[in-house]
Amino acid sequence: MGEHTVASFDEDLGQISRLISDMGDLAGSMVGGATKALLNSDNALAQRVVSDDAIMDARQRELDDRAITLIAKRQPMADDLRHVVGSIRMAGDLERIGDLAKNIAKRVGTVGLSVTPRDLSNSIDTMAQLVLIQVQGVIEEYAAHDANALATLRANDERIDIKYTSVFRELLTYMMEDPRNITACTHLLFCAKNLERIGDHVTNIAENAYYVLTGTQLPANRPKQDETAMAAPAA
Amino acid sequence: MSQMLSPDMTIAAEAAAKAKIEVKNLNFYYGQSKALKDITLSLPERSVTAFIGPSGCGKSTLLRVFNRIYELYPKQTAEGQVLLDGKNVLDRSQDLNLLRTKIGMVFQKPTPFPMSIYENIAFGVRLYEKISKSEMDGRVEQALKRAALWNEVKDKLNASGLSLSGGQQQRLCIARTVAVKPEVILLDEPASALDPLSTAKIEELIDELQADYTIVIVTHNMQQAARVSKQTAFMYLGELVEFDRTEKIFTSPREKRTQDYITGRFG
Repeated sequence: MGEHTVASFDEDLGQISRLISDMGDLAGSMVGGATKALLNSDNALAQRVVSDDAIMDARQRELDDRAITLIAKRQPMADDLRHVVGSIRMAGDLERIGDLAKNIAKRVGTVGLSVTPRDLSNSIDTMAQLVLIQVQGVIEEYAAHDANALATLRANDERIDIKYTSVFRELLTYMMEDPRNITACTHLLFCAKNLERIGDHVTNIAENAYYVLTGTQLPANRPKQDETAMAAPAA
Repeated sequence: MSQMLSPDMTIAAEAAAKAKIEVKNLNFYYGQSKALKDITLSLPERSVTAFIGPSGCGKSTLLRVFNRIYELYPKQTAEGQVLLDGKNVLDRSQDLNLLRTKIGMVFQKPTPFPMSIYENIAFGVRLYEKISKSEMDGRVEQALKRAALWNEVKDKLNASGLSLSGGQQQRLCIARTVAVKPEVILLDEPASALDPLSTAKIEELIDELQADYTIVIVTHNMQQAARVSKQTAFMYLGELVEFDRTEKIFTSPREKRTQDYITGRFG
């Protein structure tokens, strides 16, 4: 992409890109930290994730301010306009990812006090790894301007949905086996749901990023698989 | 043989819109220098088309070909076809006075005649029509209302046109153009010398006038082109680079040169 005649315009756009990149890195570290804290009952790490959310919120406010000022000052057009508006929307999704990671982190103490969470959380671990790959990938592919990779990444959310359905069934089974598991499993179910929601925000970001890069929208009909509504516990 | 370039209109109603002006393989020369290179495009009826591009790209030249006003100057020649309702206006047999009643023009600087507001409008009408005083009164009032100027000048129709503010003078020029009942209105930077409020009034006026007229506007103000037009043509060095729906041009243009220009990346 060539440079603008007005050099400070490039600086303003660059600052917005850097904020998105920072927020993406922070989102990745929060999601990674929250699941690690959950799996290891690490309260200190969980606390750090909770406090990181304030940084995430501040970044989003800064991005909003900069984007609105840029629109007012420079009236961006075409790819510049898509870049600025897309960044506002991506920042919203990243901020939500931060909230959901914080919510997982807040449950660490409660789950940790219950019985043998480690046995119950193996499949959550697998799911969390899938989600983390998506969160880190979407920011990388956007920074690399790889629209095709973003389309693929969006489609990959299906794997998270399938995994979520299986985690749901598994946790339900544990609860039926032993009612003492119910408290821990309920919290883990919320964690799994949060991870699944994080995956959805990543697909939103991928869609926005794709539009910013290409000027065209990805088709609306992304494959969707959340069967928990009809999932019965495995017998 | 170049293909007719017309905006990629998706809405059925727009697709059905009739072409008011069709430009085919138009070349234009200032002496030896070629200012327009094989321009082919089609302007839909009762719709606003904007021409944008850097200075010297040929957008004003193209506008000036439509009503052959370029012929006022020596050594300027046009080749190719400009069809108004299917009839080539570049034909030698074309009556220029008739052509200029059909295709009115408003310039960058307001150009009121040094006469009363009333006479500014009546003058042009009298050239083409013989009508009674009361009919003329009606025509003047109608034109001033059409140009959203009536309420500001109705009590001082005998005051000089030059006594009006710049924005009012420009609307007076639009009223003068509208009074002779043209079919096409060419606007060459109509608001570039005006303050924001006067500019807004001109834009509002353009919005209203497009119900009855085919409007072509040349502007350096990209936001203005984006606001007022339905289709936009981007020109560069005498070539038509891209012609499409205005939303498309300003959100995701097809050509890199268009993108570079509208985002302010041009050299």
